[in-house]
Amino acid sequence: MTTAIALPETLDLKASGPLKQAFVERRGQDIEVHADQVRRLGGLCLQVLLAARKAWAEDGKPFSITAPSEAFVETARLFGAEGALLQADYQGAAS
Amino acid sequence: MDELEAIKVTFFQECEELLADLEGGLLAMQDGNDDGDTVNAVFRAVHSIKGGAGAFGLEPLVRFAHVFETLLDALRSNEIPGTADLTAVLLRASDVLADHVSAARGLGMVDMDASAAMAAELKAWTDPSAAPIAAAAAPAEAEPEFEGFTPIVIGADDGMDDDDDLGFDFQPMTISLDAQAADVAVLDNVWTVSIRPKSDLYRKANETGLLLRELARLGPIQATLDDSALPTLEFLDAEAAYVTWSVRLETEQGEEAIREVFEFVDGDCELEITRGAAPVADVLASLMDVALPEPATPVEAPIAVAPVAEAPPPAPVAVSAPVPATPPVAANAPAAAPAAKPAQIEVPGPGQSVIRVDPERIDRLIDLVGELVINQAMLAQRVGEYGIAPSSNLAMGLDELEQLTREIQDSVMAIRAQPVKSVFQRMPRLVREVANMTGKQARLVMDGENTEVDKTVIERLADPITHMLRNAIDHGLESPEERKAAGKNPEGVVRLAALHRSGRIVIEVQDDGKGINRERVLSIAVKKGLISPDLTLTDEEIDNLIFLPGFSTADKISDVSGRGVGMDVVKRSVQALGGRISIASRPGLGSTFTLSLPLTLAVLDGMVVDVAGETLVIPLACIVESLRPKAEEIRPLGPTGSVLAVRDSFVPLIDVGLTLNYRDRSPPPTEGVVLLVEGEDGSRAALVADAIHGQRQVVIKSLEQNYQQVEGVAAATILGDGRVALILDVDAVINLRRRGPPPPADPTLIAAE
Repeated sequence: MTTAIALPETLDLKASGPLKQAFVERRGQDIEVHADQVRRLGGLCLQVLLAARKAWAEDGKPFSITAPSEAFVETARLFGAEGALLQADYQGAAS
Repeated sequence: MDELEAIKVTFFQECEELLADLEGGLLAMQDGNDDGDTVNAVFRAVHSIKGGAGAFGLEPLVRFAHVFETLLDALRSNEIPGTADLTAVLLRASDVLADHVSAARGLGMVDMDASAAMAAELKAWTDPSAAPIAAAAAPAEAEPEFEGFTPIVIGADDGMDDDDDLGFDFQPMTISLDAQAADVAVLDNVWTVSIRPKSDLYRKANETGLLLRELARLGPIQATLDDSALPTLEFLDAEAAYVTWSVRLETEQGEEAIREVFEFVDGDCELEITRGAAPVADVLASLMDVALPEPATPVEAPIAVAPVAEAPPPAPVAVSAPVPATPPVAANAPAAAPAAKPAQIEVPGPGQSVIRVDPERIDRLIDLVGELVINQAMLAQRVGEYGIAPSSNLAMGLDELEQLTREIQDSVMAIRAQPVKSVFQRMPRLVREVANMTGKQARLVMDGENTEVDKTVIERLADPITHMLRNAIDHGLESPEERKAAGKNPEGVVRLAALHRSGRIVIEVQDDGKGINRERVLSIAVKKGLISPDLTLTDEEIDNLIFLPGFSTADKISDVSGRGVGMDVVKRSVQALGGRISIASRPGLGSTFTLSLPLTLAVLDGMVVDVAGETLVIPLACIVESLRPKAEEIRPLGPTGSVLAVRDSFVPLIDVGLTLNYRDRSPPPTEGVVLLVEGEDGSRAALVADAIHGQRQVVIKSLEQNYQQVEGVAAATILGDGRVALILDVDAVINLRRRGPPPPADPTLIAAE
């Protein structure tokens, strides 16, 4: 079964806790992360996304970030996290 | 800024210790004990000083420490052999370093020429081909070379030092120097910026992404993310910083420009800026993760912008014994595992001015002095029983003994006395946080931070003060809008003050908020069944209701306070310390919580009196005067009460025996002695006792610990004849009396008190 998370517009300090919670609750299911609304991505939420990505890779479940907004892609690239977040062939290895 | 100053003070204290370690280690090396551990310890000492100095922008110190450190680094990696000559140079260098530290502290000056010469000499040792040692003797010659070295204030390593070019770690891995040099030549406009955000950075609503974006404005960047420290999803603290970045930046701008980007996150982000690309760093990082499990812990990760947070660990650990200025012994020097973090190595150095002592040893000493006081009192009493003349040698000797005992006691107590600053220091941050959480504007004003109190008291002050401050902001202060509407400054003021008053320490927490809403307090207390509705209470009594267990006026439970655990817990912890807490509140103007505690929990000067055949001790600090009342000075007041005319005022007469239920009827006050006492709040009363025995210093023994709390009694003591006497709690006695006739005392109100 596939579940989805729609990321809010602003992924800042306040969003990181709920985001982590959302991922923890959906653990073990295939997941789609909708990133089309994102306008700001902060370091803390980035960490959550990275950790989630690793967790899903460990479980061997699909994890995909769909329709990322331009801001999301651009910020991920800035963070050097493009490879980890946006490439389909992520293997969970430490970058 | 105060906080920063405090941290700086700590840094200089640590510098003292580090310099002592440094010198001790070097002396050990001079004695031929130059095993690797000692060199490591010496290196670490210099490195820590440099790191801390970098955080405070102490440039000359950093510059010198850097050169020093470079040489030590070469020494410990065996690039240069340790010789007696070298050790001598290092010792001299340590002196110059100490001068730099003193100068940075504002004590004395550094002879810059000598310093430059020393730096040149150190450089010459590091790289003999670069400068002949002879050059060291000529400062003029050495100077230019020194200038050529770009000072980097923050603990990163200098770009000129090719061998340090990794800028990543002090891994003593063999990396071809030639290759490095080549790299540098080619990539002059390439910088490697290593960013390690701390959790505080995010907490303060700063953002790494923005920093990266700012960096990108200087030139094209390529960020490499290191998530090796990232825990698994379940164990991830969503608000902590784990991920670090290494950014390759191409820019024509200088290091200053790069550093400016991080100006606003100073202290919240560890930063290293190195010239040149760091391809090796990445490789190294992955190597360290995968291939080299052993040195993976960054043993000497250069402490960058804010090493202060990391600095404390060395301190308190080594407490267990006083460290005498013993000659350095290498054998006990660096027993710590080399892999440990900046492990503090006990290299006792000469000239240590501060001794750290296990508090238990002092407590034991204080106990012993207490016993000595009791013993001395017993001796005096025995001697008195034999009717020896006061002018005899024996009696005079005893007097001297008493004097000495007292001095010993004062000195011992002074060891434990500390300024309340240590507790107060934490409060500004608390106030900011609470104000933030509650959406109020609050400014903290502190007074009397240097008031000294016994350490045992200080430790237990933090919780009550924290509670009271939270309460003052959460319940006391109004929201900025309400304040504006009331014609007040939207920013509320909370004042925290410490002062000595009549042998006690008084802590006041005062706010300029709305004051206690007595109607609401009363209605809530009634609603919660804490008091019966038909009771008529004075304003003061209503205020005191908030100390009842289970009382909470907050409409909704907030994160900060309002679970109803606050004030009754405060009250209990204060009482456990032998203290009292009181409130004064004026509607619209604010409330003041006054907390009064004994300065020490060990000894007390008291007046020994007889009451109904019992011996009691009245704290001398409360007594204004003692007198024998004349019949015409006593005026009856009401059915049972009476007042005493003392000069121009009337003071209520309180028979101690009656108040403590030693007897049912008071004898006429004219038969006894009256002690005029002053309570905490300045109110006076005349306590009636049967006879006075004299002044004595008594050792306080807790009644709560050994028996239970008794109202009207503060503690107990052991007298010279071995009997136990109770120490009167003067305020409680006054209050007991004030509440009206003791027998039908209202139980609710006693609970409220």
